[in-house]
Amino acid sequence: MSDATESFEPADVEALRTIVARCAREGKPIAIAGGGTLRGIGRRAAARVIVSTRALTGIVAYEPGDLTMGALSGTTLAQIRATLATHGQFLPLDAPFPERATLGGTVAAAWPSPRRHRYGAVRDLVIGIHVVLAGGTDVKAGGMVVKNVTGYDVGKLHIGAHGTLGILWRINVKTVPLPSRARAILAPLPEGTGARAVGYLHALSVEPHAAWWITGFEREIEEREGEEGLLAVRFEGSEATIERATRDLRMLLGKAGVPSARILDAEADALLQRIVNASVTPLGERSVTYRLGGLPSHAVETMRSFRSCARDHALRADCIVDLCNGDVIVRACDLDAVAFAAKAERFDDAVHALAPNAVVIACENAIRDDLAVWGTDAGPAELFRRVKDAYDPDHLLNPGVFVGGI
Amino acid sequence: MRDELQRRLLDALGPDAVKTAPEDLIAYAGDAYAQGSLPDAVVLPSSTQEVCRTVRIAADCGAPVVPRGAGTGLCGGAVPARGGVVLSFARMNRILELDVANRRARVQPGLINLELSERTTGAGLFYAPDPSSQKVSTLGGNIGTNAGGPHCLSYGTTVNHVLALEVVNGDGEVFTTGLDRPGYDLTGVLVGSEGTLGIVTSAWVRLLRLPESVRVWLAAFPDVEAASEAVSAVLAAGIVPTALEIMDALITRAVEAAFHAGYPTDAGAVLLVEHAGARDDMDACEAQIARIAREHGAISWRAARSEEERAALWAGRKGAAGATGRIAPNYYIQDVCVPRSTLPQALHAVGEAAREHGLAVGNVFHAGDGNLHPLLMYDRRERKQVEAVVAAGNAILEAAVALGGTISGEHGIGSEKRETLPLVYSADDLAAMARVRDVFDPARRFNPDKIFPASAGCAEAR
Repeated sequence: MSDATESFEPADVEALRTIVARCAREGKPIAIAGGGTLRGIGRRAAARVIVSTRALTGIVAYEPGDLTMGALSGTTLAQIRATLATHGQFLPLDAPFPERATLGGTVAAAWPSPRRHRYGAVRDLVIGIHVVLAGGTDVKAGGMVVKNVTGYDVGKLHIGAHGTLGILWRINVKTVPLPSRARAILAPLPEGTGARAVGYLHALSVEPHAAWWITGFEREIEEREGEEGLLAVRFEGSEATIERATRDLRMLLGKAGVPSARILDAEADALLQRIVNASVTPLGERSVTYRLGGLPSHAVETMRSFRSCARDHALRADCIVDLCNGDVIVRACDLDAVAFAAKAERFDDAVHALAPNAVVIACENAIRDDLAVWGTDAGPAELFRRVKDAYDPDHLLNPGVFVGGI
Repeated sequence: MRDELQRRLLDALGPDAVKTAPEDLIAYAGDAYAQGSLPDAVVLPSSTQEVCRTVRIAADCGAPVVPRGAGTGLCGGAVPARGGVVLSFARMNRILELDVANRRARVQPGLINLELSERTTGAGLFYAPDPSSQKVSTLGGNIGTNAGGPHCLSYGTTVNHVLALEVVNGDGEVFTTGLDRPGYDLTGVLVGSEGTLGIVTSAWVRLLRLPESVRVWLAAFPDVEAASEAVSAVLAAGIVPTALEIMDALITRAVEAAFHAGYPTDAGAVLLVEHAGARDDMDACEAQIARIAREHGAISWRAARSEEERAALWAGRKGAAGATGRIAPNYYIQDVCVPRSTLPQALHAVGEAAREHGLAVGNVFHAGDGNLHPLLMYDRRERKQVEAVVAAGNAILEAAVALGGTISGEHGIGSEKRETLPLVYSADDLAAMARVRDVFDPARRFNPDKIFPASAGCAEAR
């Protein structure tokens, strides 16, 4: 277990390279830290040296007309948001707690943004990376152009690698013009209406930029839920498009027996952020939150089986179903930490029997170390191991953090 | 080796699937860029299992394996460098599953790009990446090269539309990759690897909902610089059209002579704009883009009034390279990508390079992406002209890199640009890249002598 004795905050790539090279010579594993907002994902690194990207901050290249931007990896998403907004642009990565979340951490975790079906996922938005490899070598992949087939797209390997292949120090991304308007429509769902309301969404003539079926997150999301929770739909575009979408949605909700819907315009972005934050917010030490990636057409069924699985284990299940991308977030909790710990392992087995790819994204109970935090679907595990060995043969970078113990 | 390879392939797969006659093999020795060496055998597999058996036999005989789609590649990527087996996917050309609810399809590598969109349009869906070769090029080839096309501006390239792959490795075993389970993004690195890491035998690809409304406009400008500046202004105004394509005077005249698409032949450049989206916004969008075009010196503005007119304007653009046959016996198409704001400098450098080497050049390019395609006109029979084309091509690559760009935006490296790869990447960068090759194909069985420079202390040379 981590019992760090040294920690570093290099402020430039030379300092970073020096630390990594020294650790390589001394055979010391390194734990990599960003803003700490996604600490609930993956195993803890078995390392006594911590390298934080906190001092590697700043937007180092931004040409608004190019729709591209390069920033050091410790730059927070909030800083990026503020700079891009002055030019009417944004980076469509909706990650939790952007005032602390770093660009590097978001990329290393390949955080699944709820608007990725419209704007692309992290892997679609990153166009170039600079990374210090395990020996201290600084290499780049990609660049500042939006189309690039110059050799292998090695950058893809680092996106979502959780720092196990190198330390990202600079990242170039595509930027996107801010939509002229955004609106969230919130409908508490009375008994027996949820599935019907959700089923009608595909009939909307305007495709939502995000849509969720939420149950049990009233406190985090600060919205009243009905007996079957809350339907939240987000539209972006011109006023005319949004008004048409609103009429369409109200009509469909009426058909589904949902009596009321509330409109949020100025608060639409804040709501989006609260939903994203909720997905990684634990209930002290008495909960575990899983994310299951899947298909939109299966998401509601998946959510149902998880709720019934939680009931079988006498746990309460709070859910966020991303209806556009198919993600299901399930937070299972008990009355207190002790009661929760007593059930967590058996529940974990049951979860993975239902969905082998279910990944733990938040859990503060020590029982976490005994859960299958990366799921039980090993995938092409041998290839993953060979990728790790090729880039970090001595397993010095975030050792043990990722799937299969790599 | 050759006799044994042929005999074993014939025994395992039968004469219908294995070609060994020289007159058959010659058709698989080249692509749209180059002639390579004659393969020892061509295999036309009908299943993943047949691919596995082919790869195992090739491995036993020490023969390289080169996957091939329609052979429309522009960098020698599908051309055998050292003989061996060419795997042609002409018979693995089906849509295996169409999942309308989740907007995805599982396809075989030999499926023709355009067919996928044609066969999903009834369900209200389409496949976004549309390289100019889309009427003949295959999805397997598109995946190998990470093909782009004119619609990347808002839709991205092939890699943004591939969800999962089934791949045969160098030992003839199958593995699958996917984005919905934790692990490294192997899909992302396999796409664009030009057949050097494994053989893709099926893929899940993303389909998009057909836009509610699509409009195409054509603006004429006095010169390419003015057209380029209009492109930057459109993007700066917060509009991201689905395509922003520029053709210079030489190309415009050639296209008009060939297609009679209604391109103005007296303009210095034309800008083709396509915008897709919600129907409510189209009029306002058109007004805004037209105003920006006029402010940047547009001398005419035309909207396609019908589906036919739209198709005609696009046919001209997609047939631009072929249309230059009227100007010179041969053309060499370059492919560089630069930051959008440097387009005017990049175009200037292209003009300089052509002038210096006494060549005519036409420019047709994805302006919204900063992706240039200078067409250098020459006569293949004149040795001096061939040398001039090579020299001018290299000058263009160097200029693109100097502007912060790269040496290939969408065609690939193949054999064409392997020696110029160090313009973009340091020895350390390339060594890191070569580690990927070691992970997937340590025996260097797949498509040898591609991508990596022969001179580098990595890849094949090691």
